Amino acid sequence: MALTTYVKGRAYDWSHAIGRASANGTGFNYPQTMCLGTDGDIYVANRGNENNFGMRVNHIKVGGPGEEELLAEFATYGEADGNTIWPFGVAVDKNGEVYVTDEWKSTVSVFDAKGKFIRKWGTPGSGPGQLKGPAGIICEPNGNVIVVDSGNNRLQVFTPQGKLVAQCGKAGSGEGEFNKPWGITLDKDGNIYVADWKNHRVQKLSPAGKFLMAIGRYGKLPVAPNAFAVTYLGPFISSVPATERIPAGILNHPTGVAVDPEGDIYVTDWGNHRLCIFDKEGHPLTHLVGDAQVMSKWGQQSIDANPDMMKAYRRVQNIEQLWRFCFPTAVVFNPKTDQIIVADSQRNRLQVYNKVRDYVDFQANL
Amino acid sequence: MTHHDDIALMAHLMRRAGFGAGRDELEARVAKGYDATVEELLHPEEHPPVDPYTLLRYQPSSLLPGGVPPMGNVNYMYYLVSTQRPLEEKMALFWHHVFATGNSKVDNYDQLLEQIDLFRERGMGNYKDLLLTISKNPTMIFWLDNNQNHGTEVNENWGRELLELFSLGAGNYTEVDVREASRAFTGWTFGTKIPRLPYGRFPWKFEYRGEDHDDGVKTFLGHTGNFNGEDIINIVVEQPACAKFICRHLYNFFVADEPQVPAWNLEPPRDPAAVEMLTQTFRANKCEMRPVLRALFTSDFFKKARYKHLKSPAEVVVGTLRLTGGYDLPKPGYGQLSMQPSYMGQDLLNPPSVEGWHTGQEWINSGSLMARINFVAEQVGNTNLPGVQAIVDRLKAMGVLEPEQLVDSCLDLLGPVEVGADTKKVLTEQAKQWGQIRWDTPAHVEAATKQTGELLQLIVATREYQFA
Repeated sequence: MALTTYVKGRAYDWSHAIGRASANGTGFNYPQTMCLGTDGDIYVANRGNENNFGMRVNHIKVGGPGEEELLAEFATYGEADGNTIWPFGVAVDKNGEVYVTDEWKSTVSVFDAKGKFIRKWGTPGSGPGQLKGPAGIICEPNGNVIVVDSGNNRLQVFTPQGKLVAQCGKAGSGEGEFNKPWGITLDKDGNIYVADWKNHRVQKLSPAGKFLMAIGRYGKLPVAPNAFAVTYLGPFISSVPATERIPAGILNHPTGVAVDPEGDIYVTDWGNHRLCIFDKEGHPLTHLVGDAQVMSKWGQQSIDANPDMMKAYRRVQNIEQLWRFCFPTAVVFNPKTDQIIVADSQRNRLQVYNKVRDYVDFQANL
Repeated sequence: MTHHDDIALMAHLMRRAGFGAGRDELEARVAKGYDATVEELLHPEEHPPVDPYTLLRYQPSSLLPGGVPPMGNVNYMYYLVSTQRPLEEKMALFWHHVFATGNSKVDNYDQLLEQIDLFRERGMGNYKDLLLTISKNPTMIFWLDNNQNHGTEVNENWGRELLELFSLGAGNYTEVDVREASRAFTGWTFGTKIPRLPYGRFPWKFEYRGEDHDDGVKTFLGHTGNFNGEDIINIVVEQPACAKFICRHLYNFFVADEPQVPAWNLEPPRDPAAVEMLTQTFRANKCEMRPVLRALFTSDFFKKARYKHLKSPAEVVVGTLRLTGGYDLPKPGYGQLSMQPSYMGQDLLNPPSVEGWHTGQEWINSGSLMARINFVAEQVGNTNLPGVQAIVDRLKAMGVLEPEQLVDSCLDLLGPVEVGADTKKVLTEQAKQWGQIRWDTPAHVEAATKQTGELLQLIVATREYQFA
């Protein structure tokens, strides 16, 4: 794919990658979700694993290429208050407090902007106000918090102190029903968008939780005849395009969703290893597949410290696999910078694109 | 046959062709019929495959786990425990045992899992195709150094093991054949993969380098020509020794324990007629595995081989977890759980050598026996687990139980497990200390449930329970 994608007056330009595989410090460990901070910064919830126990939330300054900085790490692995077993969702409220869901403990922990534990709430169960495997989380402008109560296939709205305000949704595949939902976001009007993971769609709900629209239907990307899989579940890399046309609007286990100020909708199409972009009516515009042709700053540090790595890179015949998304889980849009930031989960990095508003096309006969 | 005999036979089939089954499933399968169940097992496509997306949602690092346990084991264990295609998974384990490839050298569970997936996909297909595919499998190529087998400098590791452990067995070829086979596989290698830093693992891809291939004439097992690797495999599978070798492996894995592989050219099969029948089926069907497996599972020698096979650690752990239930989703702690076979002497995805694991009585030593008993006892003693609760519910439905009835029923519902008189006497003596089992009050239910769990723990600690 091209570094710049131009479609219907919109240009998406690959900017840079951030991060590397790391159980702590400057890198990520299987990000599940992320959210914007209040100042162009970003919080990433890392799932980790039972070998390195790299579960944590890291707080990152994004900036332009090479400007990334690690600001803090918290919600690391453990049973105690302020620790997590399976961190999943992360959200920031207008005061800068950070909310982190724990999918295993079925709790929401709250931290200050520097990662100091403040309080927690949530008990396991299926009753009103109880949680079962909470996933994504988002803070509303009024201060309330919406939790994707994934195991109970519903959304629950809480006050910042954890008092139940409202709930909507139930298990199923109909309008307003969910099947193991994952990520959540709001648009500027307060409408709610949920990545309805096992229903292979994104649902748009009104601020009151009324169903408004569904985006996407199940489908897998066609695979070119000579493609090979980077993992046994893809992505599939090929030197020639697939002969079969990609059906419009298909999704395979979507995980994350973001909306920009114009209402364009960005969906991490996890199982198809891409970012799908829809207009505000839900019509497909294009998709991005990952274009990390330049090594991230922290990634380059790993290579510089291990000369054999660079020797190996120089012998690789097809480096395209390195650029592509591998199970991207989350996306955020920063309206201040017009950056689209994608959590490229299996590659333990973020890929940053710019939405270019004043793009002028080049002369075609160059 | 009585209903109990039918259940016992079906339990035997499911222990061998899968990893056991609970009583509800056994009853449903008996109603369906033995031969129909065999056919269902032979056609796994009738059931959905394991959902890898669910695994990756909860344990994303099990996709590309790199070289350090346990996340590769988590991936494999999840498939073993949750598959609805038990024979497909059992055949993958069989081929993992035959084409043994290990993380100790490969240092890359991703590639080993890819190999297991290959065995799932092709394990019940054609052996010749599988042998050719595994010859091109980068993990195998690295494991047996074929990437160092050059036209100008032959490395015999792959060529030797192809003949000794993967097709013919010792005594059925010469050192010259090893050399010539190895020459034919020169140039079979893999391309440089993207290295692991900084973004994690990427796959190998098979590559044939004609410029590194020895194009000279070879003489192999009496045939002469300008052979490449495919020609060697074509000649190998035509050898009578090949069919016999693979079928003896099948007998050892599915029917009854044989001596270890290196002794096979010295000691005859335990049941030569059975191996011969399988061999003829294999040859008549041109290396297709499905007809051989059908012949095996429907044979009298298989049906009479109950408890003549010492459970492998994988069978112990997976069979227990499938019986007790509660592990359909990967949860925290799955890492330790998935390493349990290793603690019993079978480090999945990391066999001790290219020869695979030694089986039968060699699974047992004082440490591994304790690991087996402790693990299974901890599981079946947990009466909150759904499978154990199902046993309790069935006992409850029987009403008041005398000690002898409790012992008989627990033995029945755990297998049926067949035990000797001495074992039964010990179990009954314990049950007599509890007296009658009653379910009429909450206190009685609590006591009876606890005693059931304890009796199940005693049963799984018996010698007899170690056999399948």
